[in-house]
Amino acid sequence: MALLGAITHQTLGAWASAGVRRGSFFGRFRSVSSASFANAVIALYVISTLLGGIIYLYFRVDIRPELERAGHWHFLGFFDLKEHFSAIGLALLPAYWVFWQRPRADEAAQTRIALTSILAFIVWWNFLTGHVANNILGFGS
Amino acid sequence: MTSFDWFRRFAFTFGPTFAVLYVIAVAKDLALFTVFPSLGIVLAGTHHTGDVADAAMGFLAPAMYWYGWAATAALGALMIGLVVASLPVCSARYVWSGWVWVIPAFAMVACVYLTLPWFRL
Repeated sequence: MALLGAITHQTLGAWASAGVRRGSFFGRFRSVSSASFANAVIALYVISTLLGGIIYLYFRVDIRPELERAGHWHFLGFFDLKEHFSAIGLALLPAYWVFWQRPRADEAAQTRIALTSILAFIVWWNFLTGHVANNILGFGS
Repeated sequence: MTSFDWFRRFAFTFGPTFAVLYVIAVAKDLALFTVFPSLGIVLAGTHHTGDVADAAMGFLAPAMYWYGWAATAALGALMIGLVVASLPVCSARYVWSGWVWVIPAFAMVACVYLTLPWFRL
């Protein structure tokens, strides 16, 4: 939840136009330094992925066979995407850190925004897929 | 070249390279190791359930490749990243920084493509 909040705030802050009115909702978003979220996002992402990697062992043995028996094939596809996206996101963290901590003048701001948006998408995808995984065996019962 | 410049070039190479190698590892089933969680064993390389138990018993000894695919991609990206970070600075001057997100974005699309069989069941 902390990761979701941090990356969402940072992404919206990065996307918000610099000309936004002070005191408005997005103006207050921008008043918080987005760069200050970077280290927290990285730490939380790494911790979440490590914990997810441990839980995944139990998921594979205890949960997935039940989902296969119940024919939740689409969900298993979404879950595969979750693991693929998690790995790619993890590898993007060093570049993400560089772009937020020491951006160079000749590097486009759009690159930083895009990188942050990709990470935000991955975090939200993983959260929603994990949430559905947690509840799916209760669906229709 | 400062140590931060070195790390910057390594980071910009590692992410996109990992993404490309990860897609190749998934597509070609190139896991550095395979985990069999129910048996509590890890075997080097890609092994399918039929290699360690009867294929019909797959549900008892499921194989996990994700860790191995990630390890394959990480090892390759680490080596390439170290090489690129050690190249002369001028060789990287004209590389567009946007590749650092464009390549992973395409890799994610490729992952969606590789996952499509689940949605045809």
